[in-house]
Amino acid sequence: MTPLRIVLIGYGPVGARFVEELLPAVRAGAVALTVVAGEPVEAYNRVLVAEYAVGNADLDAMLVGDQEAAEAAGAAVRLGVRATRVDRAAHVVHLSTGEALPYDRLVLATGSRANVPTLDGVDRPRRDLSDLERHPSTLVARDDDLPAGVTALRDLEDAERVLEAVRARRRIVVLGAGVLGLELALAAAHAGAQVCVVHHGPHPMPRNLDRGAGHVLRSALRRTGITVIAHSRAEAIGFRTDADGTRRFDMLVTADGKQVRGDLLVLSCGVSPRNELATLAGLRTAVGIVVGPDLRSWTDPDVYAIGDCAQVVERTDETAGRRILPGAPSGLIGPGWRQAEHLAAALAAEAEDREAGAALAPERDAIVMLKAEHVDVVAVGDVSAEPWDDDALAPRRRVAQWADPEHLRYVKMVTEGGILTGFASVGMPRTAAELTLLFERRAELPADRSLLLRFDGPDDDPSASADAFAPETTVCWCNGVTVGRIEESAACGNATVECVGRDTRAGTGCGGCRGRIAEVLARAAEADGAPSLTA
Amino acid sequence: MGAETHCPYCALQCAMTLTATDAASAPSTTEVASPPVTVAGRDFPTNRGGLCKKGWTSAELLASPSRLTAPLVRGSDGSLRETTWEAALDLVADRLRGIRSEHGADAVGVFGGGGLTNEKAYLLGKFARLALGTSRIDYNGRYCMSSAAAAGNRAFGVDRGLPFPLADLDDGTTILLLGTNVAETMPPFIGHLAGAQAAGGLIVVDPRRTATARLTDDGQGLHVQPAPGTDLMLLLGLAHVVIAERLADEDYVAARTTGFAALRRSVAQWWPERVQSVTGVPAATIRAIARRLAAGGRTFILTGRGVEQHVDGTDTATAAINLALLLGLPGRPGSGYGTLTGQGNGQGGREHGQKCDQLPGYRKITDPAARAHVARVWGVDAADIPGPGLPAIELLGSLGRPDGVRALLVHGSNLVVSSPNVADVRRGIERLELLVVCDFVLSETAALADVVLPVLQWAEEEGTMTNLEGRVIRRRRALAPPADARDELWILHELARRLGSTARFDTDPEAVFEELRLASEGGIADYSGIDYALLDSGAEAYWPFPRGGDGTPRLFAERFHHDDGLARLVAVTPRGGARPVPSPDELTLITGRLLEHYQSGAQTRRVPELLDAQPEARAAIHPATAARLGIADDEPVEVANDRGTVRCRARLTTDIRTDAVFLPFHYGDEQAANLLTSDAADPISSMPEFKSNLVRVTRLVEAGAGS
Repeated sequence: MTPLRIVLIGYGPVGARFVEELLPAVRAGAVALTVVAGEPVEAYNRVLVAEYAVGNADLDAMLVGDQEAAEAAGAAVRLGVRATRVDRAAHVVHLSTGEALPYDRLVLATGSRANVPTLDGVDRPRRDLSDLERHPSTLVARDDDLPAGVTALRDLEDAERVLEAVRARRRIVVLGAGVLGLELALAAAHAGAQVCVVHHGPHPMPRNLDRGAGHVLRSALRRTGITVIAHSRAEAIGFRTDADGTRRFDMLVTADGKQVRGDLLVLSCGVSPRNELATLAGLRTAVGIVVGPDLRSWTDPDVYAIGDCAQVVERTDETAGRRILPGAPSGLIGPGWRQAEHLAAALAAEAEDREAGAALAPERDAIVMLKAEHVDVVAVGDVSAEPWDDDALAPRRRVAQWADPEHLRYVKMVTEGGILTGFASVGMPRTAAELTLLFERRAELPADRSLLLRFDGPDDDPSASADAFAPETTVCWCNGVTVGRIEESAACGNATVECVGRDTRAGTGCGGCRGRIAEVLARAAEADGAPSLTA
Repeated sequence: MGAETHCPYCALQCAMTLTATDAASAPSTTEVASPPVTVAGRDFPTNRGGLCKKGWTSAELLASPSRLTAPLVRGSDGSLRETTWEAALDLVADRLRGIRSEHGADAVGVFGGGGLTNEKAYLLGKFARLALGTSRIDYNGRYCMSSAAAAGNRAFGVDRGLPFPLADLDDGTTILLLGTNVAETMPPFIGHLAGAQAAGGLIVVDPRRTATARLTDDGQGLHVQPAPGTDLMLLLGLAHVVIAERLADEDYVAARTTGFAALRRSVAQWWPERVQSVTGVPAATIRAIARRLAAGGRTFILTGRGVEQHVDGTDTATAAINLALLLGLPGRPGSGYGTLTGQGNGQGGREHGQKCDQLPGYRKITDPAARAHVARVWGVDAADIPGPGLPAIELLGSLGRPDGVRALLVHGSNLVVSSPNVADVRRGIERLELLVVCDFVLSETAALADVVLPVLQWAEEEGTMTNLEGRVIRRRRALAPPADARDELWILHELARRLGSTARFDTDPEAVFEELRLASEGGIADYSGIDYALLDSGAEAYWPFPRGGDGTPRLFAERFHHDDGLARLVAVTPRGGARPVPSPDELTLITGRLLEHYQSGAQTRRVPELLDAQPEARAAIHPATAARLGIADDEPVEVANDRGTVRCRARLTTDIRTDAVFLPFHYGDEQAANLLTSDAADPISSMPEFKSNLVRVTRLVEAGAGS
């Protein structure tokens, strides 16, 4: 049997998962796998880049790829080698080394790159077909060069730049208040840097949070020492010239004339899929590379895309005719991993001539969670509705809300017929964690929504705050003896811990409750008006 | 003078002194006989003189009217009738011979128990292999310790529940308890947690707010309530934080373990926020626990059935061990990892040949050297020892099937209550040609038997037990047994003789122990240096205890038990689809224990004081869930899934998560929680999934009520 030749372009966490899942088929000789990795390092977990950037995580602790295992199984892993062109007619991938790799199936996991906003002072190349054809060597599989003192936060090189600024306790300006920008801002501030967040919306995380949650989050950010400048569209960058003659970032200038000075500008304005190989190869792209639910390109049945570069759109007569396609890649790791697992299983089945498994289930709204030490934010779904809204289009929608801005706590739960469709939570970690599980399970919320709030209160356990001397409260766990039983025994004349022990066995197990028994006896004696023998 | 022995119940094996009362000599004529011995706690490192309610009342059963006092044989009318020992044993031997000659030796199966003494467990394994010639032997320990055992063997090369004396916990400053409710299951244990509580370092992981979880109240520690079935992810998250925040003991990891690189990669994908979204445990809490565990104090990590009795139980126990190894705990004085063995002799019972893949001394039955050694001790040819058999669930699944087991001998187990998917097991029992049960009460399993053989209780026999610390202790006789009850050693001897076996089956426990010493010699669980005289001198005998050597209170000080002396960090990841995803109207069923009852309840439900306190199973449900389902406290409910239905009353409590329901598994018939549990098993340990099955709970409408 000739093995099925699969070439994977991209070796981020999604690519690494695809490799891992495909290894059994590689080992069995059914698949010949070549990985074109791009970056010169082992695949790492990009989710943790912000932590790396502030010195909280080592590269070692972020690695998810296993080049050694892949090669031991017979796969070829080409670290630091870029794919420059795909010749679909010839079924060949051209590499930066000049080699040409033949394939039967091509999998694109090229991921995404940070957006560079339109700013006076920063060049921003376009990547449409004509530009790509004219400048392939600078535009394909390469990120844009940014001026000194300006960086995105996407890969390890970016992270090194941020780390240097954090270590030197420099002033860091973060442009954008999405999840990634805030995670960096919080981590950097926690590590001792001075941080200013500039964003153009009314409050942070506008795509995920309603106004209430956004405002509580803003207060929480300010309380950690971060400066937050809202309603500000960045327009230009001002430079200064270092002693060595380098022009470097000096200030961010906003449309309304604010000048935000700093030593490092971190651009956190979202990401865009790395489509350029696909575009050059004539594959249909929209926001990302357009694939069906089976992750196969609309254009070429031998090409697949997974992860941040893949835009899943079911091809129907209706969608096929549209110029603008719905949706976008989720940009989240969970769906990417599920796609990697599914595609690896499907291709292995094909190579081994087996029946393929079930289709990939469509993704639900993804839960967004801010990774930060002291600020807890979790949100999912549309939370824009307010408790008093009366929307004829959503008659079964209900909104429950708790707001305590002074103590930085907020939660809003949106349900349809009792089932959670969205929520936003700030400063209530346990509540958020439980809501996450309820959302994932599509479970009905308890009719008393306040039950969910109490998880984060000191009295989340009603019985703990109950009277420690109530008759039914257990004193001796070893023997299951209650306050009431001890009082009964005391009333029969057992006035010491030892006597009560002989009568009821209380305190005759581990002995840990003997102090409590004495207390119960003392109270009983007091109630009798007699002097206590045990106090 | 009383007999210095230990409690008949759990693996804590609390020391007790039994003193005969007058009732012992004068047979009672009243209906409720007073106990023939009095029970007193005795000072011992595990219980320090204390006993729990079960221990204090243990003597009630000795003279209980429910005690079996003569062999029973099922008559042609279908009911059990008393008969003589001669007749009963002849019948059993005849039937066994017939089935064996018609269907082969593997048509006879043996099902043992973790409550049997070392001597009985050892002799039962020998009896199966030599007198019956069958490979089909396994035991109920498969339902409790097999996942932790598999994980321990994989990581350390040895499985001793606690590789250190229990009293080491006293000085612990941080103790992480995963899935164990010691405050109810072995209450005197909690005395050893006081130090960690005082240091604010008792961390209890349990989806229920159990009595043990409450020990963390008032600043004494922390209770975390993950969603059922997510313990593995929680542990991966803890390991992630330990590695990411460089909290690992790098020197230890480098010097004493292998496998770090793969482990690091496997946990890189489990950052705390991702773990939060699966477990319901806040990311900040995960970080706080990891930091506390690594804070440099004396730290212990202990697991129990709550995290082990799952289809991924071995991996979960492995993840706990990985965490302990990363922190450098095992083998370091004043810290460690352990699993809390549950059954009275759950430790010794898993070492000496009741397991289908095992020979005495924790030897592998597939290892030619092990077979040769044991064959020498048994005086047979190694080829005469059958190969590996089937683990419990497969064994029970084969009952009455073509090529399956047609005759089953049961010792110390009430398997129609304690097995998963018990309705299926009951159907298997019905298909049998012969069921023989040795017990001292008419348990639910005995009630189905063709022949019931009455045996001795703990206070009537001599022997040894191995407690949860791997310490071998003596069980001593306090009074003479009822005239027509017999020691299982004698029963095995008599049956072997009738079956024409020439192998040696001693009836004296000490003689059996002497043989066990030889058989275990050089094995992992080496008892060869231990004898009754040594134990009677009060010596602390922790295995391995080689001949002429010393015992081993603490394992791993120098090396682990793999050939290279290193512990294995084994990367584990949750298997997709390991568990069905609950639909919105399903709850996750958690099964577990009550203070008053032990195991299937066959014994404790016959002690009036214990039965009065907990007379029936009650399903614990959160009031919010109950409100949604229209169930009030104390109302009858049905807890059901495709496997079966349990009918009982509801108990409303905020101690349980809103997405779960709890049932104790101590009850029989239609209240058996295991009617609902799945016999899907862990692929490594064959441990069934007891703790996260899906059920629907509905208010039970009485027949005739409503329309």
